[in-house]
Amino acid sequence: MKISKMLFVSEFEELWLDALQSLMGLRKAGLNHVVFLHVIHREKVAMKRGTGYLKQEERKLREIADIRFIDWAETLFEEGMEVGAHIVIGNTVPKILSVTEDEGVDLIVTARRKRGKLEELYAGSETSDLLRRTVKPVLIYNYLSQSGKVGENPFERLLLGLDWSVSSERVLDYVLALKGAVKRVDIIHVLSEKAIGKLSKKEAQKLEREHKKRLNEVCDVLTQERFDARPHLYIGNTEEQIEKGASEHRVTMIVLGTRSKSVWKERWSGSVSHALAERSELPILVVPAETK
Amino acid sequence: MAKKVLNVEDDVDTRTFVSTVLEKNGYTPILAKDGEEGMRKVGEERPDLIILDILMPKQSGIKMYHELKTDASLKDIPVIMLSAVSKRTFLRSQEALTEFGDETVPEPQAYLEKPVEPEDLAEILRKILG
Repeated sequence: MKISKMLFVSEFEELWLDALQSLMGLRKAGLNHVVFLHVIHREKVAMKRGTGYLKQEERKLREIADIRFIDWAETLFEEGMEVGAHIVIGNTVPKILSVTEDEGVDLIVTARRKRGKLEELYAGSETSDLLRRTVKPVLIYNYLSQSGKVGENPFERLLLGLDWSVSSERVLDYVLALKGAVKRVDIIHVLSEKAIGKLSKKEAQKLEREHKKRLNEVCDVLTQERFDARPHLYIGNTEEQIEKGASEHRVTMIVLGTRSKSVWKERWSGSVSHALAERSELPILVVPAETK
Repeated sequence: MAKKVLNVEDDVDTRTFVSTVLEKNGYTPILAKDGEEGMRKVGEERPDLIILDILMPKQSGIKMYHELKTDASLKDIPVIMLSAVSKRTFLRSQEALTEFGDETVPEPQAYLEKPVEPEDLAEILRKILG
């Protein structure tokens, strides 16, 4: 796994140049190419009664995006980075997916994206939609958190959530590829209270020991690659415990895998990564299952 | 036989504008919409001159210029940079690429910042291609 090319999706309301610059620590992990994407929403230029297609508005919005991207690109070009840009009209998620494919990016960076209430009811948020449909890792970058605190180096301290699924292996591979950009990794596995509750004390202790052993094995893999890694076993609701772990260990980013689920299956059984991507104040890196 | 000029540009309006200027002045335009396609067309068409934008999808004009000028078989093809990116940034970026171990590259034959007047572009083309 490599991280040399990054897609940076901006609507100029959330992610700006300072957010982009905070990600430049990834250069130590091999990042050398940034592709900007700005999607002009179709409804902003669509046919309107009495006015038709708003060609002039499209030109204006393209020009605004172009001026901003050129300014950002100049900064990166001067640092020896390769930069590209796409300014397109359409729906955000399909455009992110098509540019990701065309450019062959290794990481998608985007802000949390909402839809209208009615649309979210049947289609979910744009963030969930993107996470369901892409096979590329996505960094949901809540750069300016609700508290207004700005993340200077989001890759500095990671909370790596593992559930021992196949996607967990892929997440670990991805974290290993971030070598150079990461200072510390706190590895967490969350046991459910329900699973523990059914067991005898001896069985519960055995289960605890098994999971600690697996956590230590992962820790050893990371330590061998010179990461500062610590294992943690938590018990309770997975989402809540991951957030608790993130806070206790003062991490700068949460890293999770995600399994392929349909929109309806996700509604029924839920998805920890998608749920945290929707609500966490911290940036969340979601590494999806390899095939969809 | 008319001289061939490759225009590497992602913006369709600018491509049309440059093509029109080229045709009106007796040159044959060849078009590419990004640096990757541009390099392919250079190999296929061997143009007499290249007009090159900078900020494009897939491969930027900065990388393409560097590739052209560090390739012994292509480095003599004259290049006019035509971009909204400043010349200062362009020169600094070439220096930055050189710092990473590549050989130093010469400055382009001309550097035009967008927008350009058709007569100014035509005059530069005449000066370089005759």
